[in-house]
Amino acid sequence: MSLWAYVGWRLVQSAVLVLVVVSLCFAIIQMAPGDPVLYLYGAQSVSAETLDEIRRQWGLDRPAWEQYLAYVRNVARGDLGYSMLNREPVSSMLRRIAPNTLLLMVPSILLASLVGVLLGVSSARRVNTVWDYAIGSLSMIGYSTPPFWLGILLIIGFASTLRWLPTQGMTTLGTSARGLAHALDVGLHILLPICVLTWWYLAAFARLTRASMVEESRKPYLTTARMKGLSEGRVFYHHALRNASRPVLTMLGLYLGTMFAGAVMTEVVFAWPGMGRLTFNAILQHDYPVVIAVFIVIGTSVVLTNLLIDLAYGVLDPRIRYG
Amino acid sequence: MADPDTVRDSVRFWRVFRRQRPAVVALVTLAAITSVVPLTARFFATDPHGLSADALAPPSIRHPLGTDYLGRDVLVRLLHGVSTSLSVGAAVAATATTIGIVCGLLAGFYGGWVEHAIMRLADGLLIIPTFFLVLLVAFIFGGGLGRVVLLLGVTAWPQISRIVRAEVLSLREEAFVASARALGSPDRRIIFRELLPNTLPPVIAMVALLGSYGILTEASLSFLGVGDPNVVSLGQMLTNGLESATTAWWVPTFPGAAIFTLVVLLNALGDGLNIALNPRLGLKGVMV
Repeated sequence: MSLWAYVGWRLVQSAVLVLVVVSLCFAIIQMAPGDPVLYLYGAQSVSAETLDEIRRQWGLDRPAWEQYLAYVRNVARGDLGYSMLNREPVSSMLRRIAPNTLLLMVPSILLASLVGVLLGVSSARRVNTVWDYAIGSLSMIGYSTPPFWLGILLIIGFASTLRWLPTQGMTTLGTSARGLAHALDVGLHILLPICVLTWWYLAAFARLTRASMVEESRKPYLTTARMKGLSEGRVFYHHALRNASRPVLTMLGLYLGTMFAGAVMTEVVFAWPGMGRLTFNAILQHDYPVVIAVFIVIGTSVVLTNLLIDLAYGVLDPRIRYG
Repeated sequence: MADPDTVRDSVRFWRVFRRQRPAVVALVTLAAITSVVPLTARFFATDPHGLSADALAPPSIRHPLGTDYLGRDVLVRLLHGVSTSLSVGAAVAATATTIGIVCGLLAGFYGGWVEHAIMRLADGLLIIPTFFLVLLVAFIFGGGLGRVVLLLGVTAWPQISRIVRAEVLSLREEAFVASARALGSPDRRIIFRELLPNTLPPVIAMVALLGSYGILTEASLSFLGVGDPNVVSLGQMLTNGLESATTAWWVPTFPGAAIFTLVVLLNALGDGLNIALNPRLGLKGVMV
């Protein structure tokens, strides 16, 4: 099978997986007790006829399978539906919110992967030394810290005791700052959430890098490389690192793929207007079109990143053939 | 049956595990917590909902860890919260491990469409944002603790089943399976008496990590408001603490420290078991 046929086949599989996710989500929501229309308008004194009229408008009076087919048809055309709560097309909502999440996630993940790999490698070069134990304990602690707790501790320490940094939201309430002043304002707000996320991701990358470097350095091909008279540095950084980077790349892909889900816990603690908090609020307020749309976006980005990672393996490891 | 190979394996396991000092410390500490905390909560700190007049009182002799905004003693609630977390961790790990082992055994042993169906289901679960799925189901149908535990267990089995399946694929061709078959053993016997015990070592380390995943994720969910208000949980204590974080640092600090302690102990134990039993594994990420 050629590379393109492989990519095509994987894309078909991915589409099927995403369809399964959509169907599952749709089924759960159909089984939900309660009526979204009542939830939205029930508190206002609206007559039963008006409620029926609203149901007809939304198409909620039609049988479930008809609603499902209509939904899938719309998604295939790129229409993700309409947020009942915000009175706004879901796609424009996601376009507005997604950049906020990326602003938070991309720097955290990149910084953490870079520093984490460096720490993991340096730890693996000095296996069973004080440095190795220190990095090992720190990453164990980082990996086990509940992010929402760390967020609260940072709020207590840096924001309310020292009063250095803002704790909530993305911008100062009521400012109309533009340009550089706006960027600075966002920069101050983003600092603590980025610390929380980087702390966790850094630990994860350092742990995995160390483990896979140690495993790799026990393999016989490294002895061969040493016997050929290659320098220790070249053996380590050129031969071992290249092969040890596969699991690290997989993890990077996993995190980048789930990035659109946002970091719900961190976003809630810091009231950051990102995808995680959006999804949480949508679930809380029964705004189902938004919930399903988020599942579609996350599912799609996960399967696509998995595909990209699998293709990257081929570049790293010439033994891999697709098909 | 203690055949010589098993004995040698377990001796080797203890010899290696004993040298993983953090893991041994973690195991002893966890055993101590598990035996002391639930009993103390049940017999000595009996009223986690008891209100008192001094709300948000800082740590003192009367209230060693202070009180929350309703004047409830943080230490008493903490003991109950830790007991809840321990059962949640154990139940999630048990559910996910059981499902994962059975699915992995079936997929590896039978192959064909059985394997295909099981492994595609596992793939699906790995791409679904399971955290949001559990959140969605819990908010739609109401999230008692039992349901949350069940949902977490039912969505966390794919890693276990992948490991077990991989083990079975290599064991299936071994002589002892062929000889069992030649003796006319039924499939059920081959799967559960011959294959199952041999796939367990790589799974054991995973169980500790699943426990820590269960505790952390349940805490995250109850922090977001899922769960039964009558069952004390550490996540819920943190939510109350978030509101008074700026004025009463002790309310969110101690429950969070308790979650952290349980999770770090289980992860350290998992790491040590992993080194002693030596499989390669990774755990699906928790929600950050």
